[in-house]
Amino acid sequence: MAHATQVGLQDATSPIMEELITFHDHALMIIFLICFLVLYALFLTLTTKLTNTNISDAQEMETVWTILPAIILVLIALPSLRILYMTDEVNDPSLTIKSIGHQWYWTYEYTDYGGLIFNSYMLPPLFLEPGDLRLLDVDNRVVLPIETPIRMMITSQDVLHSWAVPTLGLKTDAIPGRLNQTTFTATRPGVYYGQCSEICGANHSFMPIVLELIPLKIFEMGPVFTL
Amino acid sequence: MLATRVFSLVGKRAISTSVCVRAHESVVKSEDFSLPAYMDRRDHPLPEVAHVKHLSASQKALKEKEKASWSSLSMDEKVESLCFLLHKCGFGEKWLNVAEEGAADLCACKWLSSLPPVYRIKFKESFAEMNRGSNEWKTVVGGAMFFIGFTALVIMWQKHYVYGPLPQSFDKEWVAKQTKRMLDMKVNPIQGLASKWDYEKNEWKK
Repeated sequence: MAHATQVGLQDATSPIMEELITFHDHALMIIFLICFLVLYALFLTLTTKLTNTNISDAQEMETVWTILPAIILVLIALPSLRILYMTDEVNDPSLTIKSIGHQWYWTYEYTDYGGLIFNSYMLPPLFLEPGDLRLLDVDNRVVLPIETPIRMMITSQDVLHSWAVPTLGLKTDAIPGRLNQTTFTATRPGVYYGQCSEICGANHSFMPIVLELIPLKIFEMGPVFTL
Repeated sequence: MLATRVFSLVGKRAISTSVCVRAHESVVKSEDFSLPAYMDRRDHPLPEVAHVKHLSASQKALKEKEKASWSSLSMDEKVESLCFLLHKCGFGEKWLNVAEEGAADLCACKWLSSLPPVYRIKFKESFAEMNRGSNEWKTVVGGAMFFIGFTALVIMWQKHYVYGPLPQSFDKEWVAKQTKRMLDMKVNPIQGLASKWDYEKNEWKK
């Protein structure tokens, strides 16, 4: 989760997110360079004493400032596509969880090795204990093992929602009548938070997602499957 | 009067309405936009027409004297008639080196009101005059600060009269317990919150 005044990305909990953070740093550096250059040119334009209104035909400069942005775009596109294809790699998930969006809660189905289906509602403010995270904590968390590829099948029962967990680099739309798939592998145990990321009505801000990642050994012992 | 001065700003570059005309000297007349016009512009140093179109008697006499050999002009007049042209074209300082000693004083760029009549026939304002700064920035900055201050008052009023109380989770004890919980969960342990906590000494890292 983010702390109160955080503007940067959260620390990565999956290898894909680590790649995305590196890519973000790379793209942001390019953006800063371009912005700085443009601001400098603007500053010069605003403070110059020169007045020549008849400038035309600067073919060399025109060529440079066409080729150079094209090169910059290629430098951004290559890492971007690399990560895009990385997310689609075949990784043979060990576990499949279904996540169904409703107005305004999530339903999770663990149907691989049994039949566990439960709803996950945000804890209302009156139900919070001191120290709980307002607007983030839920009654039933999604318990999952670390270091295992997990497949999430995401859909919706009514309107559009979006299942997002930033620290894992996940955001997948929940579309009624459609099954979207996303996979991830978490690298460290912990509790990870996300929020519904597609406007879905009055309580769109009040249907968070909480994942509890635990070691595989403990997961296998079956605490999840006791109803 | 104020309206006239406001319109004079509008009419500074192009002479249009009679209101603008009234704001300037009576030497200026309404003109058709298709005719060459006089303008004081930094990037247009030699306008197509002279500033004064209809010369008075003394001005005509001065022009006649200028037509004769310039060696007949006095030191002052010589300096004035050549210098004003070079000065207008921005060569005032460079020309200084070539001039006689007496010219140095007059060619200094502090003429402003002391520019000779010959100059004023051809040009309305010198470069120094047309490029002069103003105190407008003080009004702008002051106005902006005033309105920002007024906005602050509005926000203070809102906080007091409109907004409800903050949720419980903003209480100091709650935030402390919440932070402790986040540290126990090791939230963002690589570069974020938990990375700044020393788990051995149980305190924030120095």
